[in-house]
Formats: sequence, structure tokens, C-alpha cells
Amino acid sequence: MSRTIWQDLVVENPMLIEIHRFRRRFLTFSAGNSLNSAVLALILVCYAGLVLLVVQAKGDIPPLAVVMIQTGVLTLFAPGMLHGAIAGERERRSWDLLLVAPISKAQIVVGKFIGALAALGVAATFFLLPILISAIAYRRTNWNDLIEGEAVSLTFGAAVCGLTMLFSARVKRPFMALGASLGTLAVLMIVLPSLIGIFGNNSLGSGMVDVFYLHPFIVLTQIMQISEDRGDYSSSYRNHFVSDPSWGWPQAFIYLAFAIILVTWAAKTLIFAENEVKFIPKGNKADA
Amino acid sequence: MLEVKNLRKEYGGLTAVKGVSFTLQPGDIFGFIGSNGAGKTTTIRMISTLLEPTSGTAVLNGADIRKDPMEVRRMLGYMPDFFGLYDDVKVWEYLDFFAAIYQVPSRERNKVIDNVLELTDLTVKKQAFVQSLSRGMQQRLCLARCLVHDPHLLLLDEPASGLDPRARAELKELIAELGRMGKIVIVSSHILPELADFCNTVGIIERGELLAHGPVDRIVQSMQPNRILKVKFIREAGEAARFLSEMEHVLNAQESGDGELTVDYTGDHEAQADLLSALIGRGFRIVTLREEQADLEDVFLKLTTGAVN
Repeated sequence: MSRTIWQDLVVENPMLIEIHRFRRRFLTFSAGNSLNSAVLALILVCYAGLVLLVVQAKGDIPPLAVVMIQTGVLTLFAPGMLHGAIAGERERRSWDLLLVAPISKAQIVVGKFIGALAALGVAATFFLLPILISAIAYRRTNWNDLIEGEAVSLTFGAAVCGLTMLFSARVKRPFMALGASLGTLAVLMIVLPSLIGIFGNNSLGSGMVDVFYLHPFIVLTQIMQISEDRGDYSSSYRNHFVSDPSWGWPQAFIYLAFAIILVTWAAKTLIFAENEVKFIPKGNKADA
Repeated sequence: MLEVKNLRKEYGGLTAVKGVSFTLQPGDIFGFIGSNGAGKTTTIRMISTLLEPTSGTAVLNGADIRKDPMEVRRMLGYMPDFFGLYDDVKVWEYLDFFAAIYQVPSRERNKVIDNVLELTDLTVKKQAFVQSLSRGMQQRLCLARCLVHDPHLLLLDEPASGLDPRARAELKELIAELGRMGKIVIVSSHILPELADFCNTVGIIERGELLAHGPVDRIVQSMQPNRILKVKFIREAGEAARFLSEMEHVLNAQESGDGELTVDYTGDHEAQADLLSALIGRGFRIVTLREEQADLEDVFLKLTTGAVN
């Protein structure tokens, strides 16, 4: 990436104000936004409960299990944050103001994406405490596996951000983007595995695991299993100090690639004119 | 200078704007008049680079909206007929954001923000959240946003809609000030008397066609080449009507009741003074004599039919 592109998209991108807006909207108590404040308070209570649970467990909870919880939270958190990224601009009609400004589509999309990543980073930082407590207390912690698991979790969160950004770029209403994002995730992560489980093998045997090579929870389960086996002195993995190469980093790189592709797609498919964007554009440009 | 050249926009079978052309110089305040659906907003959106014209173009200080839209965007400030404000930011943050977008150097931004806030009389609201501002203040903030990069052209689409009379008066003064600062301002509005107050040129559009454009006085005069004089007498005006009908420059003199005459007159002010002297010399007792001025509203009603696309 040349210095200019890096500066345009990251260092000097005015859309990085999104970081500030995300912080104010999702991570600040405010009398003016009681719903967000209530949700934030609930999240903090749940977080305190999680930390207490990990402390109370005294090493009985594997750190990768906490990473799984983190993945679940990020999967829900990302669409919740980003569904209005572009559709919200359309709805409040601030979109036109960006369109007549000398700013590129890429700057808009990347700026908003970085804003969401920063918020995900904050959430992941909060999760570090229970993960570290659990990792220190748990006697079979493998730090390499833990880092792999964390990479899978964060890159999957980024991919979910990319997916939500794409939907937000293609629909007019934020709730349509939220519904489409959560619906897609539900189909890919719950409905499809269930159907394949029912009509396929009736159980998640080894063949079924391969089918869900990119399912983050199965990936994390596999990493955890490998980690457990490695710590178990009777296991065949006993002397292995590197993870099974099929699980962990490959998925993390694939998720990262997905995130980049989805964000690029979002930037490429933005239809700037007319303030009328439909998910399936008609052939006639005037109708778009 | 802004040159709009044969701008045309078609949507499928509908032609929203049919070859609109006009030229504006720095300092011009151009009132864009038309009914709803006449094509004002479409024209403004094409000039602002939001809509791609089907044909024709506009050139702002040498930059073509079709060939070099980014350069045009740097030189224009667009205020749509809605606020489009972010409600979770403070006034100065909002302006800072747009100043950054318009590449105002960061070391100059504070000064620029202070200046535009002062110009729009929002200095005291610098630290307030955008959503806490009144409608008039939000409108002024929108205008402040348009000014952060010192644009050459301002496109204001229905800027006074929904404002109370005081806010309207303030906005009017502000727009006049922007004209004095040498900016080209295009204002679309339905409130014609207001436009006449501060616009030096106007364009009347109907069904996408620019029916007339040019300086306000010239357009009004072209619509009403003769003067209309209203003369009110103490008593019956019939005899005076007969007397006036025989005078030079008088095309027609008709009683309009209550001792008043309506005189269709082609003479200049000198001749008008002579006419008054003649009437007094003949012993007619005159209460008032006034020239009835046609205004933009009359011109608009005369030119347009009220039809929309």
C-alpha cells in the first residue's frame, strides 16, 4: 500500500471521526440516550458476572472457552454497531452531504470500518481480563493456541463487520441491514449446521467437522480440543508444540481476506447518486 | 463564474430538466423559482455533482461538473432542503469533521470554525450537541458547514423552509452578506417576496424549462412594459378618466370604483409629473397617485401555469 493510500484511508481519513462517534454512542453513559445506556449497563453487569465466574472457577474454565464467549459477543456486537454505518446516513439524509464533499467512497467505507474495528478492539480488550485470569489459573494453557484462538475470534469479528458494512451499503434502512446481517449469520452458523447435522450424518463426526471448516465455533472447539490433547500426557499430541496446521491461523487469514473483500465490495457497490439504492439494482440506472 | 450549459436530466420517459442554461458572476444571488416538481432541486443536484446530467454540463471557475467533479466539490457548498445532521456530535466537532473532509489544514481549523460560527451567530453554541439546537440554529449550522472551506458557489435548496419569521430574516441577511463577500449563491424557494429582497437575479422554472432568467428588475419590466398608475380622487373619477384618455402616453384609463382610476401609462417619470400637474391644473382634487409595482409573484403567476412534471 503506497504512502498516499495509507494516509488517505487511515492516517488522514476524516471519517475516523467514526471512532469518536462509536465511543460516544456505544461506550458512554448518556442521559440523552437511555436505551444505549441501559444496554451498556447490562453488558457491564454481565461482564462483571463473567469475571467473577472465571475467578470462582479457579482454573476449571479453559481460556479458549472464554474466547468462544468473546466470539459470540463480537458476532452480535458488530452488526449492532455497524448496521447504520451507511444505511443510517441515508436514512438521516446526511449521505448527500458526504457525496458532495471531496471524499472518496473508499475513505467513507474504510473510515467507518476502522471505527467499528476500534470498538471491537475495546470489547476484546475488556475480554482480555477474564481470558488472562483463566489462562493463568488453568493448568493446561497453551499460549500459542490461545493466541491462535484470539486471532480467529478477532478476525471473524472483522469479517462480520465487513458483512454488515456490505449490507448497510446496499440497503436504505439500518434495520434492514441489521436483519440481513443477523439473518445471514444465523443461517450460516446455526440453521445450516443444524440441517446438515439432521439430514447429513446426524452427528458432528470428523467428516462433518471438515464441512464446517470456517465455522468459528467449530474452529475454536478444534483448537481447544488440540490444546487439551496436548496438555494430556496420555494423548498422541503430547510432544507437539505447534498446533494442528489445519485449524487456527488458516481460518484467521481467510476471515481477514473475507473482511477485506466485503469492505472492498461495499465501497465498490455504493451507488452515489439518486439517494435511492436497492439491494438488487434494476437494469435501468435511473431506477437505481 | 458559473456557466450552466443546456443541462438536461431524463428519468426513463420523464424529462425532469429540459436544457437549462444561465451564467452567474461572483456576488450574484440567484433566486431559483418554481413550483414543487418544477425541476429546481434536480438542477441544483446536478450542479452539486450529486446527479449526473443526461446531457449538458455546468462549469464552475473552469472546472466541469462532469469531467472534474472532485474539483467542483472543493469549490461548492451545498445545503439541501433537509438538515442531515449527526445528532451525537457537538457543533464544533461537526464543523471540524467537514473541515477535515474539505482538507482545511488542521492548524487552521479552529480559526475557521470560530469564524463561521461567528458569521452564523452560533459562537455560544460551539460546545452544544447538534440535537440540542433549535430548527433555526440547525439551519444556520448547515450554512456554517457549507462555509468551512470558503466555497465560491453556494447552493441553498429551500433554506428558509420551516423557519420562524425571525430566523428567516436572519438567514436572509446572512445570504445577502455572503453575496457581498463575492460568493455566487443559488437559492431555491417558494417564498417569492423574500427572494426579491436579496436576489439580484432570478430564474423561473416550470416543468423543467427555464421560462425566464436575469436581473429581477429586468424580468419584472419585461413582464409589464407599461406603468400602471393608481390615481385616487376625492369625488367621482369619470370626468378625470375621460380627460386622461386624451392625454399623451395614456393607453387606457379605467375607473376601478371608490373614486379610483387605473391608468395604463407608457410615459417616463418626467411625463408622469406633467400628467399630475395637468390634472391639478384642471381642478381635479387628487388624494393619492401611486405607481403599482409588479413583483416577482405577479411575474411568476403570469409566466407559469402551475403544471408539474
